[in-house]
Amino acid sequence: MEQSGTSPLLPGTVQDLAAGVVSALRGGDHAPPVVRTVADDGADRLLLAAVRVTGADLLLPNVLLRTAPHETELALFRRALEAFPPRADSAPAIRWSHWAMIRTLRRLEPPGPGRRGDTPPEPDASRLDAAPWQVLTRQLAVLAALAVPGEECAVTRAARRRPVDVSRGFVRAVRRRDWQQAAGAGRWLMLLDGVPTTLGLEAGLDFVELMGGTDPRVALQVQAARSIRAGVFV
Amino acid sequence: MASTDHRTDELTGLRADELEAVLDPAEADGVFRDSRECAALALSSGTTTLLLSPPTPRPKKS
Repeated sequence: MEQSGTSPLLPGTVQDLAAGVVSALRGGDHAPPVVRTVADDGADRLLLAAVRVTGADLLLPNVLLRTAPHETELALFRRALEAFPPRADSAPAIRWSHWAMIRTLRRLEPPGPGRRGDTPPEPDASRLDAAPWQVLTRQLAVLAALAVPGEECAVTRAARRRPVDVSRGFVRAVRRRDWQQAAGAGRWLMLLDGVPTTLGLEAGLDFVELMGGTDPRVALQVQAARSIRAGVFV
Repeated sequence: MASTDHRTDELTGLRADELEAVLDPAEADGVFRDSRECAALALSSGTTTLLLSPPTPRPKKS
């Protein structure tokens, strides 16, 4: 998150958004307070960038709990999507995160004249099948927002074909103390069949939360994994 | 600089490539957990053992 040259305010804003999502997933308010506060006064530009970084997970509580998003939150989400399109030379992960936001928007926006159309074709995911398990896990963790029950895409199918590799990646991330990656991988594993029982996934996620849960972005992934496990979306 | 770069810069003070680096960050160097964390994991892991296997040796500095 702490990339040299990026706005120093961006990480904190992203963390604020993530904390709001965690609260909503735990049964609190469904609109992160920062969104409601700022969006009501006109979304500022830093917030748009933070929404783009948070991506589809900003509306994860609405997807899992099947609730309608706050109107201003949806408008902000749409603006961030339009403000930061992938570039011609953007990496697949950038294209996928943008695609995931469009898919979420299409799922949640109400039908009517304001609706912009269908979800566009999926970006390329062919590299995932040939990727070493370490690379696969890193990419899946970056794209953890795609790990949503009942949603299919090429990334989901690639993950489903390699549950043992993702399990190995989860262990590797824990041992490297990369809590963000471990939490993202753990969220994927909650969706997959064929995960070795010896992995101790739930205890592992508890440990990830214990060690890295003060970062709201880590807490978001852990809470998402628990929500998926609990089947709150059913 | 592409047009999207200019637009991103106007919006946030961030260049598009900087924002993309946040969205798809390079993997950080590994830091292996210490014995205190192993003990914490042992307490929380119940009957499983995979995560408790000895840490991978640190690479030797040449």
